[in-house]
Amino acid sequence: MKIGAFEELVLLAVGSLGENAYGVAVKELLKEKTGRTPSIGALHSALYRLEDKGCLNSSEGGATSERGGRRKKFYTLTAAGKNAIIDANRIRLQFSKNIEGLNLGLDES
Amino acid sequence: MKKHHHIPPRFAEKILNQIIRPDLAEEVLGDLEEKFYATLVKRSSFRARLNYWYQVLNYLRPFAIRKRSGASHSNPIVMFSHNIKIARRSILKQKMYAAIKIGGFSIGIAACLLIALFIREELSYDKHYADGDNIYRLVGAYDEPGESWKGVTLPAIIKPLLEEGFPEIEKTGRLIIFDFFASGNNQFRPVNEMQNTYEEGFVYADPETLEILEIPMVYGYQTLALSEPNTLVISQKKADKYFPGENPVGRMIILNENESNPYKIGGVMENFPSNSHLQCDFILTLTGKEFWPGEQSDWNGYVYDSYLKLRPGSNPVDLEEKLLSIRDNHIVVDYESRGDQRAGDIKEYFSFQLQPVKDIYLRSDDILDNNVPHGDLKVVWVFGAIAVFILLLACINFINLSTAKSANRAKEVGLRKVVGSYRSGLVSQFMTESLVFSFISFIIGALLAWILLPYFNLLSGKSLVFPWSAWWLVPGFISSIVITGIMAGFYPALYLSAFKPIDVLKGKLSRGSSSSKMRGGMVIFQFTTSIVLMICTFITYQQMTFILNTKIGFDKEQVVMIQGANTLGKKRAAFKNELLQLSEVMTVTQSSYFPVSGTQRNGDSFWKEGRSKLDKGVGSQIWWVDQDYIPALGMKLVSGRNFSAEMASDSSAMIINQTMAKQLGLEDPVGERITVSWGRSWNVIGMVEDFHFESMKGDVEPLCLVFGQYSGSIVSVKVNTKDMAGTLASISRLWEEFMPAQPIRYAFLDERYARMYADVERTGKVFTAFAVLAIVVACLGLFALSAFMVEQRSKEISVRKVLGASLGSIFNLLTLNFLRLVLIAMVIAMPIGWYVMRKWLEDYANRIEITWEVFAITGIAVLLIALLTISSESIKAALINPAKKLRSE
Repeated sequence: MKIGAFEELVLLAVGSLGENAYGVAVKELLKEKTGRTPSIGALHSALYRLEDKGCLNSSEGGATSERGGRRKKFYTLTAAGKNAIIDANRIRLQFSKNIEGLNLGLDES
Repeated sequence: MKKHHHIPPRFAEKILNQIIRPDLAEEVLGDLEEKFYATLVKRSSFRARLNYWYQVLNYLRPFAIRKRSGASHSNPIVMFSHNIKIARRSILKQKMYAAIKIGGFSIGIAACLLIALFIREELSYDKHYADGDNIYRLVGAYDEPGESWKGVTLPAIIKPLLEEGFPEIEKTGRLIIFDFFASGNNQFRPVNEMQNTYEEGFVYADPETLEILEIPMVYGYQTLALSEPNTLVISQKKADKYFPGENPVGRMIILNENESNPYKIGGVMENFPSNSHLQCDFILTLTGKEFWPGEQSDWNGYVYDSYLKLRPGSNPVDLEEKLLSIRDNHIVVDYESRGDQRAGDIKEYFSFQLQPVKDIYLRSDDILDNNVPHGDLKVVWVFGAIAVFILLLACINFINLSTAKSANRAKEVGLRKVVGSYRSGLVSQFMTESLVFSFISFIIGALLAWILLPYFNLLSGKSLVFPWSAWWLVPGFISSIVITGIMAGFYPALYLSAFKPIDVLKGKLSRGSSSSKMRGGMVIFQFTTSIVLMICTFITYQQMTFILNTKIGFDKEQVVMIQGANTLGKKRAAFKNELLQLSEVMTVTQSSYFPVSGTQRNGDSFWKEGRSKLDKGVGSQIWWVDQDYIPALGMKLVSGRNFSAEMASDSSAMIINQTMAKQLGLEDPVGERITVSWGRSWNVIGMVEDFHFESMKGDVEPLCLVFGQYSGSIVSVKVNTKDMAGTLASISRLWEEFMPAQPIRYAFLDERYARMYADVERTGKVFTAFAVLAIVVACLGLFALSAFMVEQRSKEISVRKVLGASLGSIFNLLTLNFLRLVLIAMVIAMPIGWYVMRKWLEDYANRIEITWEVFAITGIAVLLIALLTISSESIKAALINPAKKLRSE
């Protein structure tokens, strides 16, 4: 399972939003945590890709008036998605450890 | 608060909805809208809208855009292939109607294509000069109220005059293109050969003419090829004929066995393109040429056409103004010096005009330049109109049949609408169908045009080729297919797609009759067009027969003209005597002048002797003929006597025609004396009845015959024989004895006469062809409509038969409606045809009256054709066993 850097962020955001992960919420969270403002198109593109790869599940929720009566689509992490996050983190850690003089600050936390 | 007053830009939403995958739409639009309102809280509504647009545009990513395949009902490609499938099915289901639609269409398209090729050729004349905008032909215009003419010929001296005084003129080149000394036709041979060949297409020209008309050279140079006296330029075609595979520059040529005056080939020019107004194979130089002493500097020989090349940027209108100085300082002076009364008129009414070279072919209607081939702008327009009309007729067939058959499609339309088809979808379905028809018809039509092109060339006297390889062919075809398809399919598509599903499925829709008025109107239009064309054809033919057979003042039958007889020289008398020994030969006459085209012409001013300083001169031709001319051609002397070889005084005798006498104001011309502008006088010894010697379009013009024995280039033999071939053989044998080196060349006077009216004949044939096409297309439509009507009413007919209706009454029932339409068309068409043809006939001085028979015969013919067309189906319907039709219910 290979996922890109942005996809990884989206996975993390979906995972941390829990039950409430839908497009706009993910976007807001990404902005809050990373300062990035991806366009909705870019975000959806990543979400659909992740769903295709089996990292995410989606289900439709209730309609709200601020969406013009349209339903939300909620995403949840699958086991594969969690594995993907773990994989990505492990690869990152392995590399980071080999870099001399790089203090990731992981020990203190 | 704000958010209730602002909504996301609906247009952006719509675009997105059109483009993205439908399964994504809800989520995406929802997110977008939520984001929009979120932005609205923090920022201005403008920013929110801008952001919305930005997000929409940003959404156009490959993953989100609709895929090109799949089962989506709104996918245009799928719909298109579906529509084509339906079109194919409906063609196969209704083979006869489809064949009629396609057949009519193909005929219309073939006719259109042919005419388009023709028009294209006509409009392409003289467009090939690189510097075409600066090339002009000099026209002399005389515009006195009551008498106006335009001519192109001027005396030789015009060239130095133009070259001296007018800095705008870069080059001046003269040209002689009618039969004048060696221009026209000659016996031709290279100096080292014995055998003469008759060649046509000789002209005289200045070296500058080659440059002005940008005549491309194969060998030699434009500037040098004609710069020495007695040089000529020949065309590539003729070079290949006489000097195959070599460069003939420098070779010597003998014309008409005149060995003392040989010509040297100075160059070879490319063959003239077919769309050049000038067509010739031999250009003889005018360098050092003087046709008679003083000819180059006096004002007598009005034989030269002049072409001018202006310097870039000069204004032709200004130049025309300046050219008036030539009139005032030279022409008027010349008239005055001769004491000619017309000097004042010339000063007042004569002017020069510059005609752009590209206008020469199509826009020289009022200019006298008989030897330049011309197209007729009117014919171009008429042809164009005919093409459009025939195509319209074919489109109408399509429309009529489609709407008539609407009942059969109504259920389909209703059902489609019930299961959710939009009207636009139905329109595009029917449009696709008509495009398919148009496409098939275009293919067939193009093939048809290609096959018919040789025949059309024969008809129109053109040499058109089908431009298979032209770059514009494919785009042109595609756009024509689309345009015709839309033209024919527009109304049916709107009509058929407008059905209300409830009415249709309940069976309320009356069977295809709701637009019968419209269809009737269209049938009337079709037949009106056809009838007008028929009337035109009819009257053209009548006029032609009239011209060819009416009393023309001479007897053109059984006269053989032996051409090129000037080479006989001193043997003329002997040849004539030998001819007269043949039993079939009645009379033999020699002259260069005959009352048919292609023989010599001239023109001069004549007066009653002593009046030349007082009266206006009468413009007349003067023909040298011998004593046998009048009897051989069966002309009639009204008064006086014929020439006589025995009377020495007849060398100054003259016979004039009635028109000449009338114009000179002579009641009894015999005994009067007549003077010509160059000073000679003759005694009038007789008056000949007017005969036509120019095109019969005009009135008979004045003519003087003077005595010249053993002169002229044509020996005309009046024969009396049943076995023309045998007579010709004996004449040919005799000729061979006299002139072994020159093959005999003969023509029949009546054929030459008919050739003068070739254009009338051509118009007639072309009209016939198109009238036939129009009526065929119209009848196809009528046939299909009647067949359909019969089909629709077959049950009704059966019931009527069961109840005892007679065959006749059923026939009437089915045909009368259609005949009524044809009758209405007749009422409309006849005044139109009458008016159009009256206008056309106005061009002819000798013309037929349009009589009621024309209309009666056309009317009956059309009715019969229509009746025949309708009746086959009607009779079939009337004869059918009613049980067969009623059995099913």
